Amino acid sequence: MNDKKTLGEMLTERGVSRRTFLKYASYTASIMALPPTAATAIAQGIANARRQSVIWLSFQECTGCTESITRAHTPSIEDLIFDFISLDYHHTLQNASGHAAEEARMQAMQENAGEYIVVVDGSVPLKDDGIYSTIAGITNLQMLEETVKDAFAVISVGSCATFGGIPGANPNPTGAVPITDIVTDKPVINISGCPPIPEAMTGTISYLLSFGSIPELDHLNRPKAFFGEAIHDRCYRRPFYERGMFAKSFDDEGARQGWCLFEVGCKGPVTYNACATLKWNGGTSFPIQSGHGCLGCSEPGFWDLGGFYKPLSTAKGDPLKWAGGAAVAGAAVGAASAIMARNKRNKILKEGK
Amino acid sequence: MSRGNGTNCLDDQVTGMALSVLAEVGRMLETLADSGREDAIDLRSLPLTDADRAELEQMLGRGEVRAELDLAGESEVWETNYPGAWWIRHRGAERKIASEEIAVCRIPEILKTHPVDIETAALRIRNELETTHE
Ligand code: SF4
Repeated sequence: MNDKKTLGEMLTERGVSRRTFLKYASYTASIMALPPTAATAIAQGIANARRQSVIWLSFQECTGCTESITRAHTPSIEDLIFDFISLDYHHTLQNASGHAAEEARMQAMQENAGEYIVVVDGSVPLKDDGIYSTIAGITNLQMLEETVKDAFAVISVGSCATFGGIPGANPNPTGAVPITDIVTDKPVINISGCPPIPEAMTGTISYLLSFGSIPELDHLNRPKAFFGEAIHDRCYRRPFYERGMFAKSFDDEGARQGWCLFEVGCKGPVTYNACATLKWNGGTSFPIQSGHGCLGCSEPGFWDLGGFYKPLSTAKGDPLKWAGGAAVAGAAVGAASAIMARNKRNKILKEGK
Repeated sequence: MSRGNGTNCLDDQVTGMALSVLAEVGRMLETLADSGREDAIDLRSLPLTDADRAELEQMLGRGEVRAELDLAGESEVWETNYPGAWWIRHRGAERKIASEEIAVCRIPEILKTHPVDIETAALRIRNELETTHE
């Protein structure tokens, strides 16, 4: 769709006040780790923007990423994003099907050339000429190349699109690759996670809308606002880690006391994501708070890291690697307790756990 | 140290962060008084425990002004016991806190009526009067 009106004009007609924009902007500034004073500029930026055309391509995926972004809640400030974008193509959500669906994609590409955003979930199979996943008679590779040609930017959502994910896990039977292996001439923003946190997806789109530019990214093309810190850095169980107090199994006294889950396989020390701060289901909880270690789902190759329930050092075969990294991170809390924790982990490793 | 879900946490421990935030608010108020420069603190960006947050709210107290806003979910704004320091709490889905900040200013932006909304209001009244006269 190519609506000439600005979002401000469109939503004013529907009775949405500028205060509501400002509230949304405060929420966006907060989740993007921008200063609260940036809210006024964000609100103005969104009000002046046109409704953003989004073409969403789903390849080798499970639809969990779509489930995440469309999570069912009461109508609220978080849902305003769906007024700000025009979702012009999405297999699961659009009414049209077959030729009509493909025509909608072509029309959006023509009308918004150079301005539309392509969101991709799922990896792309390359083996055997890509025949393992086709849509509308063409391979995922063909559809991706055709669609990104005139895009403003590409957002890869979910670990399959960003790093290959489960389809790309060993032995990778379809030759699945992430989007960055194919799209090299456009900005590609990676929002990893299996699924990604909804706020990471909507916050990034809101940032693009308000500032017309790409947010600051890490070395894996992920927005630093969401992927700048390890789960371990913001985990509320961290003081137990520092004191060397670890649950040894999911039903022992340590687990009941809420101790650190490192020894039952938590990948928090090497996983960069915002689960510990933004949490899930509208801020209700996150895996570690629910008693399960982090699976590391937002990191490359998480499926092949050696076992969800094995401690990191055991899984990687290098006991000191994570212990050293964690000790450095924990220096502010106390070097002595970190050394104690390291010794404790090494002891457990030696015992063959 | 216990949550309702059976796992323990540290959320009911006071860490001393509230006092640091209070000191920061004090510095911002001095700047506002000296130069008129407004500022704000995003409370969600700070590693505050629930107990710290409650302590901070209690330290800052409630002043003369309180407003409830109905904007795609509820919001509350109140001037703390320290004039010029405002607590702004926006709620999102299922009344959960979507953003929370302390704004140090004469009046928070969210309480002001935007010129576009004023124009729209005038237009609506004009339209209503025209419809009544028809
Ligand atoms: S190892 Fe896991 S449970 Fe333990 S402090 Fe780090 S992130 Fe939290």
